[in-house]
Amino acid sequence: MSRIDCEHVWKVYAGGTVGVRDLSFTCNNGEFLAILGPSGSGKSSTLRMLAGLEDITQGKILFDGRVVNDLSPAERNVALAFESYALYHRLSVYENIAFPLRARGFKDRDVDKAVRSIAETLDLTSILKKTPSELAGGHQQRVSLARALVRRPNVILLDEPLSHMDQRVRVDLRARIRRIHEDLKNTTIYVTHDQAEATALCDRLLILHGAELQQIGTVDEVWNSPTNKFVAQFVGEPGMNFVPGKIDAPGQVSIQTQDGRVAFEFSGEVAPEYIGREVTIGIRPQQIRLVPTEGHGTIAAMVRLLEFRGESTILTLELPDADRTRVKAVIPAGLKRHQGEKCWLEFPPTAIHLFNEEEKAIIHRRDATGSST
Amino acid sequence: MAEVRLENVKKLYGQKVAIRDVSFTCKEGEFFSILGPTGAGKSTILKMIAGIEPVTSGMIYFNNRPMNAVPPQQRGVSMAFETYNLYPHFTAYENIAFPLRSPRRQEKLTPAEERRRVTEIAEFLGIEKLLEKRPQHLSGGEKQRVSLARALVREADVYLLDEPIAHLDAKLRFSTQALLKEFATNYGSTIVYVTHDYREALALSDTLLILRKGLVEQCGAPEDIYYRPATDFVGRLVGEPPMNLIDGELVSHDGATYFKAGNDFSVRLRDDLVALAEKVAVREGGRRFVRLGIRSEDIAVSRENNGEQSFQLPIYAVVHEVETSVLTFELEKSFLYVRVGGDGKLSDYRLSEPVWLSFNPDRMFFYVKTVEISKG
Repeated sequence: MSRIDCEHVWKVYAGGTVGVRDLSFTCNNGEFLAILGPSGSGKSSTLRMLAGLEDITQGKILFDGRVVNDLSPAERNVALAFESYALYHRLSVYENIAFPLRARGFKDRDVDKAVRSIAETLDLTSILKKTPSELAGGHQQRVSLARALVRRPNVILLDEPLSHMDQRVRVDLRARIRRIHEDLKNTTIYVTHDQAEATALCDRLLILHGAELQQIGTVDEVWNSPTNKFVAQFVGEPGMNFVPGKIDAPGQVSIQTQDGRVAFEFSGEVAPEYIGREVTIGIRPQQIRLVPTEGHGTIAAMVRLLEFRGESTILTLELPDADRTRVKAVIPAGLKRHQGEKCWLEFPPTAIHLFNEEEKAIIHRRDATGSST
Repeated sequence: MAEVRLENVKKLYGQKVAIRDVSFTCKEGEFFSILGPTGAGKSTILKMIAGIEPVTSGMIYFNNRPMNAVPPQQRGVSMAFETYNLYPHFTAYENIAFPLRSPRRQEKLTPAEERRRVTEIAEFLGIEKLLEKRPQHLSGGEKQRVSLARALVREADVYLLDEPIAHLDAKLRFSTQALLKEFATNYGSTIVYVTHDYREALALSDTLLILRKGLVEQCGAPEDIYYRPATDFVGRLVGEPPMNLIDGELVSHDGATYFKAGNDFSVRLRDDLVALAEKVAVREGGRRFVRLGIRSEDIAVSRENNGEQSFQLPIYAVVHEVETSVLTFELEKSFLYVRVGGDGKLSDYRLSEPVWLSFNPDRMFFYVKTVEISKG
């Protein structure tokens, strides 16, 4: 197990395309870190540089304080599972999983014990004798995962390891992967474009966009204090809503509607230069409250669409501002709403986020532990 | 717009039965989804409605008019295929405009009007910047949106959409799903929609048909399907985590009836539930075997014992969602999922900690066993 440090790491491809721009972060010993971002954000390039499969253009990667830039994947002692399975098609499932152990000269008895144990944990026992070509994509991916988890490497690197599995299996494997991590506490870096999966598994999230680091923090930190609009929108489904507004006074922001300005109180502080300025108000769909009557700090809205989700319903609501901005709200499935219905929305002061023209978060809040965000 | 009705439709490919016997009515202006796993026959149904596959037997009607003998181009349908079927030598614009240029169209569009319509649908689906590109320069998700735009650009009596957003990445899939719902709402179009993703089916549909191996498993409003799954198959297919299914037996003593699974798990059943369970129980050698179904959000978790309705299990794993967490328990070689929280805070439950679980008696279902429960 290792601590990983990335220090000002760049990846520039031939032709000048920047894959990763000046990335610095630490993954602590035993931590489960998810690298999350849309396609083309630089997540796989980052993982491949950590693995040693890709040259580092500039900067340093350290394992336990030791620079590994010039070490091969084997010398780094990393275990890998990729979206594309890279299994040995002439070997049985058993031998595929056993491969990294045999390559390191483990005795047959120890190999057998380790293979059977991980096969049991990942529910592969019944297919150990098959060859990969006899398996569906989801099962091949699971074998690839077992091969990565069978030994105790310094670091486990997983690149979209569940992407080809159907959702029922994914739910099951999330629980297993999390359990394996709790038991072994391997340093694990997990790349995904799926924010729900990242949230489910990791201790901390690292969010990339356009080859650059956007934010790194616990799920709670990223959820409650996104540093910019991209993160606010990307994490959470549906993502954060944005509405144009203006800061009237400390702790008060307002939205211009056809019937005048509607003011909302927000908790936390903004720098004095923002008073009187136009900003973007952010509010999570899960934190909008629907109230039956107009009151202080409520805004009218019209229900335009309903999307039933089982345990909840997503409403698309139209606000009475000049742009007829649409926002989404998630309500418990038990609350019945109808298309075309008028309702009133309340934005709790602690749920309001504000972003400046550069799309950066500008509210400073102190949370219960006293740390400033 | 048209009503689409299928009556006892059957489809064979050689000796192989693709559709065993399917009947349903998709009302005029309805968003009608067909949900099922791969190989259930979903696309076959769509192709038969489009007329590109003949039915083996049975009838297809549009507004009570038999369609079996009507060629595809005269059915007034517009279709989007999962495999896109774009013309490779055309730009995205030309692909989308193609149905508007059909020689069969009575109304000829001026170039300006054509551009207006293509641009409008392209902007709606967020692909207006791709219009001059050819398919080979588009990603899978972009091609899929071009294909969808081509299907939606013209007025049709029936829109047939086969997994039209399956290849978009997660974020885009959700936002495009909302756009489809908006399109259907604004134009009151009749849409038959095929998907294997239960979330799309729940969010979009007025009526939802669950297809299994060429037969209708259940058909109803999304709320009915979610809250009252007719079979264990439906319960498993719709919802995440999937509905918990526990195999056990009914055991009566001292005037009470319990559902027992293995040695550790026993829960007392309310009288009305006993009656329901009895109805579907399989009797063997004086024993009554039955399958219990309950959704993850219908199980309460507590550190205290809440009486005969509750039982204790150690936590196997905790998986967080942003606002809720899913606790996993091992029960009879399978996983039991329980959703907790919802107050925006992560739960403080610890691994291996034994907690008490109580099943909501109003949300318990009993089923005949029709699917295998395997781990994963």
